[in-house]
Amino acid sequence: MSADPVIATVGLTKRYGSSRGIEDVNLEVVPGEVFGFLGPNGAGKTTTIRTLLDLIHPTAGSARLFGLDSRRDSVAIRARLGNLPGDFGYGRGASGREALRLLSQLRGISGFGRAEELAARFHADLDRPLGKLSRGNRQKIGLILACFHQPDLLILDEPTSGLDPLMQEEFLALIGEERERGAAVFLSSHELDEVERICDRVGMVRGGRLIAVERVQVLLKKASRKVNVRLADGGGLDELRGVPGVSVLDVSDGRVSFRYAGDLDPVVKALARHHVLDLEATHPDLEEVFLGYYEGKGES
Amino acid sequence: MTAQLTALVSAHLHDRRRSLLAWGLPLGLMSAFIVAIFPSIQGALSDVVEQYPAGLKEAFGIGELNNVEQYLHGEMLSLIVPLAAGYLAARAVASDLSGAAESGRLDVLLSSPLPRRRLCAASFVGAALELAGVLLLTAVLTGIGSLLAGAGLGAGPAAAGFAAVWPLALVGAGLAVVVSGFSLRTPIVTGIVAGALVAAYVVDLLGKLDSGLSWVRYGSIFKYYGNAIETGIEPWAFAGLLALAALFAALGAWLFERRDLAA
Repeated sequence: MSADPVIATVGLTKRYGSSRGIEDVNLEVVPGEVFGFLGPNGAGKTTTIRTLLDLIHPTAGSARLFGLDSRRDSVAIRARLGNLPGDFGYGRGASGREALRLLSQLRGISGFGRAEELAARFHADLDRPLGKLSRGNRQKIGLILACFHQPDLLILDEPTSGLDPLMQEEFLALIGEERERGAAVFLSSHELDEVERICDRVGMVRGGRLIAVERVQVLLKKASRKVNVRLADGGGLDELRGVPGVSVLDVSDGRVSFRYAGDLDPVVKALARHHVLDLEATHPDLEEVFLGYYEGKGES
Repeated sequence: MTAQLTALVSAHLHDRRRSLLAWGLPLGLMSAFIVAIFPSIQGALSDVVEQYPAGLKEAFGIGELNNVEQYLHGEMLSLIVPLAAGYLAARAVASDLSGAAESGRLDVLLSSPLPRRRLCAASFVGAALELAGVLLLTAVLTGIGSLLAGAGLGAGPAAAGFAAVWPLALVGAGLAVVVSGFSLRTPIVTGIVAGALVAAYVVDLLGKLDSGLSWVRYGSIFKYYGNAIETGIEPWAFAGLLALAALFAALGAWLFERRDLAA
């Protein structure tokens, strides 16, 4: 990465007394990059984001955004970013337009930027009180508030939560456009599919620790997928056992269940020697990704 | 800076526009009723009050009840209006800080280039304006009640009486900012402020009831609040309470800037 990072954390740590926050998080995000922050609920994703935004203060370590200190220069940093908090809320009585008006004034922007365009695109009702909107429709307003001023950095905490599939597609398209524009996107998620589709790199966080930062394709190669295959001759077991990355789980009634991690090509070639009656490969879930990563590292 | 402050104060007043009627109307109607019934009960009341011990009359600000100003002070301005206004001020601040944190709005606002201390300042100024509106409506309705009943409430004394509530209640607003520096739960913020106002009243009362304890009154804001409807506004006390309120607000902003805003 040659460009100056938009986000750079060094040993970023936040502890809440005896309970866990985040520990020694080191990461970099560059301009034009969509960075996925992947982890299960409670892993430390939101704590990291709130530390970047100076909503909470680190116990140790530091974070720099646009080369500025996240604590000392917080106001200057926030002038250049857009944020969608997790489980977005704004109070029940205000409408999206009222929220936009206040945020425009706080940002010193005349007009609503591209808010109207985004509202039309996401079919968002800017005039209805937020308390009367469904969760998904509220989330659309949150996205508009985060993006309307075309920030250099978008920080999005679980952005597609509550959005229907069509709107999720629209959201993915929007993130692609933001990347084209040169904006950096820091996106937290516990949905591997979402991260796989839009992110350039992924940081995996678990138990408050950043356990890996990988390019998405590398991450998926390390993740083990579960495959069920039924072969006409009931064989194939020996060939599969000989393929690197395959671990056979079960064989019964001519059906073989196995896991594989890594390159798919040798698996397909091994199976191609037989008459395949049925084949089902399931996408790895988050736990399987973590498992694959740990196994790759020789950890249990 | 001014643009952000103006925007936040305008938003505060817009969001809380209903409080003008929700608080000003009942307080004003109650005060209007009190002054309206005074002419019809004045004689009987004076006879009853004459029987009261002198200390008790002084403690509760009852006086001799020779005029409607004394009666309004005893019934409304010595306790009910200051406590209600102080509680309202705390609620007004809480809506911008703890309430905003509870609804998620605080996260959205602080994603913009808004210093936290400015948010605190705006909530304090917004509370001050909201409070002024409520007290003005209360005073106007009281004046109307007096006019309709021919109670003879003087406009000047009445204005002084209600105006004196403003800095006292603002101390509640300032204290609410301080408490928000520790807790972002609205019931805790308003509860502590309400408790502190009641405690200040009780301390002042104790000092009035027991001459040996009169010195404790110096620790209560109610001593400096006084009885403006009868004696006029004491400028130094008025300014002192305002300064105390501003000091609390500044301290609260300092604490708020340093605290974690957990999700």
